[in-house]
Amino acid sequence: MEPKIRKLKFVFEPRSVAIVGASPTPNKIGNVLIRNFIDTHFPGKIYPVNPKYPELAGLKCYAKVSDIPGAVDCAIIATPAETVPGIVKDCAAKKAGGVVILSGGFEEVGRNDLAEEIKRISDENDLPVIGPNCLGIFNPYTKTDSIFLPMYKLERPKPGGIAFITQSGAVGSTVIDLAAYYGVGISKFISYGNGTALDESDYLEYLLQDKETEAIILYIEGVKDGRKLLETMKKVNKTKPIIALKAGKAAGGQAAARSHTGNIAGSYLAYHAAFKQAKVTEAGGIEEVFDFVKMTSQPKPKGGRIGVITNGGGIGVLTADCIESEGLALAQFSEETGKELAKILPAYGTVANPLDLVADAGIEAYEKAIDVMLNDSGIDVLLVIVLLQTPPIDERIIHVLTKALDEKKKPIATISIGGAYTESYRKILESKGVPSYSSPRAAVKAIERFVTYSMYARQLKKR
Amino acid sequence: MTLIDDFTLLEKHGFRLLPYYLARDENGAVRAAERIGYPIALKIVSPDVEHKTDIGGVRVGIKNEQALRNAFNEILTNAKGKRISGLLVQKMARKGVELILGGKKDPQFGHMIVIGLGGIYVEIFRDISARICPITNQDVDEMIMELKAHPLLEGARGKKPINKGALEKLALQVCRFMMKEDLKELDLNPVVFDENGCDIIDARFSR
Repeated sequence: MEPKIRKLKFVFEPRSVAIVGASPTPNKIGNVLIRNFIDTHFPGKIYPVNPKYPELAGLKCYAKVSDIPGAVDCAIIATPAETVPGIVKDCAAKKAGGVVILSGGFEEVGRNDLAEEIKRISDENDLPVIGPNCLGIFNPYTKTDSIFLPMYKLERPKPGGIAFITQSGAVGSTVIDLAAYYGVGISKFISYGNGTALDESDYLEYLLQDKETEAIILYIEGVKDGRKLLETMKKVNKTKPIIALKAGKAAGGQAAARSHTGNIAGSYLAYHAAFKQAKVTEAGGIEEVFDFVKMTSQPKPKGGRIGVITNGGGIGVLTADCIESEGLALAQFSEETGKELAKILPAYGTVANPLDLVADAGIEAYEKAIDVMLNDSGIDVLLVIVLLQTPPIDERIIHVLTKALDEKKKPIATISIGGAYTESYRKILESKGVPSYSSPRAAVKAIERFVTYSMYARQLKKR
Repeated sequence: MTLIDDFTLLEKHGFRLLPYYLARDENGAVRAAERIGYPIALKIVSPDVEHKTDIGGVRVGIKNEQALRNAFNEILTNAKGKRISGLLVQKMARKGVELILGGKKDPQFGHMIVIGLGGIYVEIFRDISARICPITNQDVDEMIMELKAHPLLEGARGKKPINKGALEKLALQVCRFMMKEDLKELDLNPVVFDENGCDIIDARFSR
């Protein structure tokens, strides 16, 4: 690993941070940053840097990074673009561990000169530089947070195993907010903006050896070095599954292409090909990423055989259709399971998969059916459809589902379709960590991805 | 580059093309057909024609001299006003599944290969799969599985499966060729596959 990549550890696990452009003015980026570090009780040293102030938020403020007496592991820069190369140079002179540049005003507005200067300093000093033009990084394990959006507007997720690499700050911030909302644990968050000195492949490389990261979500719009990305994805995906979300698929084939191949092979096809080649799972949108991620804190499924429980026949059939079209299978119940399930059903019910408990099914029927299916080794994933509109279903269903989840025997997904009442229940389920979906398609797609992800993980473990 | 230059370069790189001659006139076509042996196919070669079929520039399954002379004149009539380099006299290809093997140089990823359902409807069905060059035989197998038409390749409706080894070999050859000659675009289309092997019927590329 290049020293520049290895040294990212200083940025993610700093014992000290310098906030360059720190400000006493509320709602200014330099103020939000310093407040965030103080309010979350960052365990290391915090050094505000701004020549205008002797003191900030009760901390001694320095004119420049090299004035700081102790070591600086991570410098976060939020000052106008013209001043940034000079500050990065000062950080290099101070032998800072790494730099995060939040400021915009570089390549994206044609100031390639400033960007080149930063890259040069970074290369010459093996100084890792994240950004510019980004949200920077977030590591809940070390409470390192350069996201300059106030906590009350953008909740931060808990520590976990999912890493996010994102080119776009806007996508990054929504992903962070949604991760917190859905209770998805994050290992590292990296918004790398222009990727001037370090690109997506470098971050993948770093995350490969990051002990907290189990899986990586990669959001990209465009890359400069596709070959490097392909080779890195191949390497990383062997141990840590990557889920890719590529924006900008619509640009079709070149209109001027003379060949058939030129006409049918648009710019996205190359990305698609590279993902396939590296066996990287591709998501179709942010919602698909989350639909998938919601599943991942559960035990990995051993295969793609799904057991379905429903209290509405039609939704069960629609779900079965999705299971087939996504290439999964409806599980065959064991003889024992069949006998046990028959006891739960009313006299006119039949044991089949999907198991239709029918509309007058109560909480007890769900509880028993779930228990029986969790103990059938022929079922890999349990998909529980709960139509909340039926009279016998009440809040006790939440307990039944969370209890089943806590057993950690098999991954479980739930589907509840409906209006405001149902949606309010789904929110409660989400908050309890129950993967809840508002359509069969969303649930089954998420399961399919989880099954594929688990298959890769298993294959790789064997090697 | 003319079609014949393209064909010559392909042969230099080890691609085995169907026997062909470029005939400048009717009698030349007859002599070529006698050397190759009937039945033959006759195709226009013109810098003004992108898709030969679209202008009536292709006649296939020509069984004898009289049919050849008629076809020759029909094609000339259809191509009135176009510059004509000659007519390609080509041995008839085997019957089988028509595929396209194509390539393209992507600005970010470099050379890539495309395998798809070939023939004149490539752009309508768009049943293709792609990989970044170079590739392995396993990549080719996965590409085949990604095609919607893959049951056709595996012998649908009582037909024998196509010769997968020939497809793997050709796909790897396409990657090498693309990279070695640093091509911008390449079409081998159609390439007809049956259980014994394949015939490359038409090819074009650009740098």
